[in-house]
Amino acid sequence: MQVKNNMQTKVISVKRGTTLAQLLDLFSSFHSFPVVPVVDDDNTLLGIVHIQSFFEIFKPYHHDLLMRNPLSMISREPANIFDVDIEEGMGLLVIVADIMDTKIVKIEQEEDLKKAYDLMQLHKREAIPVVDKDKKLVGIIGIFDIVMKIFKEKGLV
Amino acid sequence: MNVILGISLILLFGVFSGKVAEKIKTPAITAYLVLGILIGPYFAGFVSLSVIKFSGIISNFALSLIAFSIGQNFSLQIFKQIGKQVLWISVLAAFGAWLFVVIGMLMLGLPLYVALIFGAIATATAPAALIMVIRQYKARGKFTDILMGVVAIDDAWGLIMFSVCLAFAQKIHFNQATSMLQVIFGSMLEIGLSLFMGAIIGWIFCTFAYHIRNQRDLLIYTVGTIFFTAGLALHFHLSVLLACMILSTVIVNIHEESFRFFDVLQTIDWPIYLIFFVLAGANLEIEILKHVGFIGVVYFVARVLGKCIGTYFGAIFSQSGRDVRHYMGIAQMPQAGVALGMALIAKSVFPELGSLVFTAIAATTIIYEIIGPFFVKISLYKTNQIQAR
Repeated sequence: MQVKNNMQTKVISVKRGTTLAQLLDLFSSFHSFPVVPVVDDDNTLLGIVHIQSFFEIFKPYHHDLLMRNPLSMISREPANIFDVDIEEGMGLLVIVADIMDTKIVKIEQEEDLKKAYDLMQLHKREAIPVVDKDKKLVGIIGIFDIVMKIFKEKGLV
Repeated sequence: MNVILGISLILLFGVFSGKVAEKIKTPAITAYLVLGILIGPYFAGFVSLSVIKFSGIISNFALSLIAFSIGQNFSLQIFKQIGKQVLWISVLAAFGAWLFVVIGMLMLGLPLYVALIFGAIATATAPAALIMVIRQYKARGKFTDILMGVVAIDDAWGLIMFSVCLAFAQKIHFNQATSMLQVIFGSMLEIGLSLFMGAIIGWIFCTFAYHIRNQRDLLIYTVGTIFFTAGLALHFHLSVLLACMILSTVIVNIHEESFRFFDVLQTIDWPIYLIFFVLAGANLEIEILKHVGFIGVVYFVARVLGKCIGTYFGAIFSQSGRDVRHYMGIAQMPQAGVALGMALIAKSVFPELGSLVFTAIAATTIIYEIIGPFFVKISLYKTNQIQAR
């Protein structure tokens, strides 16, 4: 059971320079915000945007650095979204590069499905990007894809 | 009172005092420290001596976790990210504070080993107060960015300087060495062995880490390795801080997804830090406070002076603007967590004069935390980081 036979190959990815407004617009009709890979011009995976990324907008610069120092005692809860000041221009000023998560959990397409599942469990992620040998994005695999595969094998679907 | 009951009271009061601190816009560390003083043996006496004795174990636990977390800053990626301004300013500000405080303490007639310890503690800066001001006034701009980088990284320099100074101080004080050459050689050997041990454990850790498949095992494996490193360092009389720091430095540079080890720690570390700081407060010996007076004042002034002058030169070397040169020094005034941790170690290593160091640091911490934010605010105003609304 290889990842590449069970992944989704139609992936919506964004660029570093995609603006916040474009990003919101892109997914406004979705049920929930998905895991969105960020790639450069030759499709190399640079990071991901997920729902938590939106909270980055309200954090000061270098906040991630301070989080590495436990004694900074910075509250780890996301900012209170009901009490933030958002200026009108931010939709155009904030770009994906500002908010993307660079802690990339990815898997190579030749790997076993079991390994993809383990990685998701280990990092508590619901979906992870799939790359080829050159770290180029080729798809995305989610828990649901794995569940479907198992169900299909058992003859449930 | 038994230890479990004591710890439970610390945790429960801790939650409450954290909430109060949030309301009155004070960093949580200050609240925990004050709580410790209040429930400690000198006031309410909730926390008995048996619980205080427990602080030796807790501080080794807490400090090895702290050193491990701070060590992850030493990755190539981070150095590229923070840039030369932050590097120059943080290194020279730390060195400036160290130099001025050591000279100040020597002028007061304190022994060299105590002066070295005071100097090393002076390097640390507390980010919590700073972040509160930045959030409260919604400060934004280049100055704020550099400042955040400086306070994020300088605890790392501080821990290194402290570990090195501690090694020297021990060799000088306990007469293990007779000549200066022996002092230097002995400390260098201790430092080198600590680094070597941490690095080897880090390498072995990464080799086996690939077999870990779930969060539960990941947490156990990570915590187990950190305490193994700390325990081994204690056993061989090496530096716990340096060994744990190099452990994570190696991990962060050779493991591709190393963030998982640091993220998983965040699920359990907060209660340990809370107990650590409350016990730090409870350790404060009020009667020593009387003898601290002048030392505290000199420490306070020399540290600020050293930070400002160090920052000034750091700004010149990194070709930063006038704003950074003049105002970034005073913005680094707040001091709390790491400094207290170092002072607690000093207290446990040097029983006689260590208490003096600890009491002086605890007292100045409270003062720094009260007036520090005020100076942060001034520097942010002067550099136009806070827009008039």
